[in-house]
Amino acid sequence: MGRKCLDYVNDLNDYLDGELDPSLCDEIEKHIGHCENCRIMVDTMKQTVTLCREGKPEKLPASLEDKLSGMLKARWEKKFGK
Amino acid sequence: MNERELVTKAQAGDFQAFATLVNASKGRIYALALKMTANEQDAEDIVQETFLKAIDNIEQFRGESSFGTWLYSIALNQARAHLAKQKQTDLKPIEDYLPTKSADDLHRPDTHRLFDWKDPHQQLEDQELKEIIDTAVAELPVTYREVFLLRYYEELSIKEIAKLIKESVASTKSRVLRARLALRDAISKALEDRYGTQVS
Repeated sequence: MGRKCLDYVNDLNDYLDGELDPSLCDEIEKHIGHCENCRIMVDTMKQTVTLCREGKPEKLPASLEDKLSGMLKARWEKKFGK
Repeated sequence: MNERELVTKAQAGDFQAFATLVNASKGRIYALALKMTANEQDAEDIVQETFLKAIDNIEQFRGESSFGTWLYSIALNQARAHLAKQKQTDLKPIEDYLPTKSADDLHRPDTHRLFDWKDPHQQLEDQELKEIIDTAVAELPVTYREVFLLRYYEELSIKEIAKLIKESVASTKSRVLRARLALRDAISKALEDRYGTQVS
């Protein structure tokens, strides 16, 4: 008896992250070729990560940027001296 | 100058070296803090507290991880302190994120079809989609949220995350999978509601 869907789901992160043994990748790809729910699971798990990365803030707010350097410098001088 | 050299100089009291290390990591620390707390003021506090603690403890950094990973461990502790009042949720079994809890075959005839999002960008405005994603991440239990963000936002390895959260690699791997399934499930439900509303 072959693997069941739940077994595949357990391997999906490694598969999607490119960390799964190639022979198991082939097995998953064969499985999702005929199992619609697993195909949807793979597509939507992949999109989950892609969508979350899209909203990633790259910069600090200006107000924080302005005060951070001075704050760290003051703490540094308190610890190490000028 | 590489990171190791900068750390050595900073540990000897060179502020410029420390400032270079801060500049290389502050955006990532802020991004992590903002996603962890979903609150700009909390995120700003976490960034400040993280770097101040880094100054206080810089001599304790032994180079067993990258300096960035060391900063993440400080930031994570700060974020956890900010989130301490949030209700902790027990980890769910993987089956809870599948269409049926009883069947272990998703293609059985009595199993519901999963909702297929297709491309949400085709269906929703960017801002609306962003709100859905932000809400789904913010509502993830903290234990899931932190590993998901460390893995897929900050792109740390499972080994690095395991060390940060003081869990085994196997347990961390399982938690990351559950986090991704839980988030997928939450986004799926939100999109299904939204798509349904649009059709009607």
